[in-house]
Amino acid sequence: MNYLMRTKWWKWLTMALLVYVVIGGFLFPVPRLPILNETIRVLHFHVPMWFGMLFLFVASVVHAIKYLSSGKIENDIMSNQLAIVGTLFGILGMLTGMFWATFTWGEPWSSDPKQNASAIGLLIYFAYFILRGSIQDEQQKAKVSAVYNIFAFAALVPLLFILPRLTDSLHPGNGGNPGFNAYDLDSNLRKVFYTAVIGWTLLGFWIATIKIRYKLLLEKIDD
Amino acid sequence: MLKQLQWLILKDLRIDWRTKYPAAGILLYITSLIITSYLAFTGFIERETWNALFWLILLFISINAVAKSFAQEDDRSAYYFYLIKPSRIIVAKLIYYGVYQLLLISVALSVFSLFLGFPVATSGPFFLNLIIGSIGLSSAFTMVSSISSKTNNNAVMMAILGFPVIIPILILSINNSQILVLGGSLADISTNLITLLSVNVIIIALSFILFPFTWKS
Repeated sequence: MNYLMRTKWWKWLTMALLVYVVIGGFLFPVPRLPILNETIRVLHFHVPMWFGMLFLFVASVVHAIKYLSSGKIENDIMSNQLAIVGTLFGILGMLTGMFWATFTWGEPWSSDPKQNASAIGLLIYFAYFILRGSIQDEQQKAKVSAVYNIFAFAALVPLLFILPRLTDSLHPGNGGNPGFNAYDLDSNLRKVFYTAVIGWTLLGFWIATIKIRYKLLLEKIDD
Repeated sequence: MLKQLQWLILKDLRIDWRTKYPAAGILLYITSLIITSYLAFTGFIERETWNALFWLILLFISINAVAKSFAQEDDRSAYYFYLIKPSRIIVAKLIYYGVYQLLLISVALSVFSLFLGFPVATSGPFFLNLIIGSIGLSSAFTMVSSISSKTNNNAVMMAILGFPVIIPILILSINNSQILVLGGSLADISTNLITLLSVNVIIIALSFILFPFTWKS
């Protein structure tokens, strides 16, 4: 995070990647699959949100651990802001997914295990924000919320990766549904998708650095 | 080390013995919860519903029983803050509340089967799964209780913080339990059971590592 705060080159990279993703995502030819049809383009906007969310949450946990070992308040600010942006990405992923599901599965919420798991995952982070709000003392707030952050992340991992395997998911690629990988589509889709994952994730970190900078300035004014 | 653990566990036992009302309150809570669900579900309860209802009742018993584990330490904590290592405190709490909850669950199970029957097809593995699941519930809630005791609104925070964290354990054990209720064997749930065990181990290990930080704050 410190490195990202200091350097600039990756912001140019983000912009370039996202321009490519938006143009490529909407205009490049896509393979025709039953049911999916043109909605397959959501691959470039919905799936990267979850990747971005996970990377942001991992970064948040890393800073929570750093805070517990060093006790520097900057790490707590970083951890908190990364979690906020991660949750934002999660909500966006949820909305894009529900929007897509309306057209493919027929309804926004079909009790798909991945949908349920990610809803619960978001609940965990909402609880984290409420926990932060309910403690007055700065030091104690930072410490307790760092502990909960790590603890909750450990619960999130089995939720997202193990439980959806217990029952079949409606998601493409699961439970015999036509998948993006199964057909191995054309390399165009794949190229745009990987770019999208990197691009949106970097955008998330960019937003986080701005928020962190703002909070650090507020902290300075307070002192 | 062992002596301190023993002392801590005995201390909790003595507190519960002297102020009898929390334990008695939980017992009454169990009975009224089960009678309410009996009145609501009587006549049309399927095996799957039986299972889901049973685990939901366990969840509420667990959250209410364990919620007090650290809330009751408020005025005492300063006293042995300097005397005992935090890692020993959490181990003692985990053991005490693990056993405490197992006792409550056996009471709940007997009252529950008295009213709503006991339609379990494979009972041996059912109890194994029950014990593992309930240890997971009690240890996760013990850790959450230590976090929520630091906030102003203990009871609500306990539920908000606890429920999302507990869901992996709960889903896995409900899933296993349903297979067993419907007549599956131990082999059908062995992979799930191993996952459940490893989630338990992760939660207990994390409580052990993280507890000292909440305790000192």
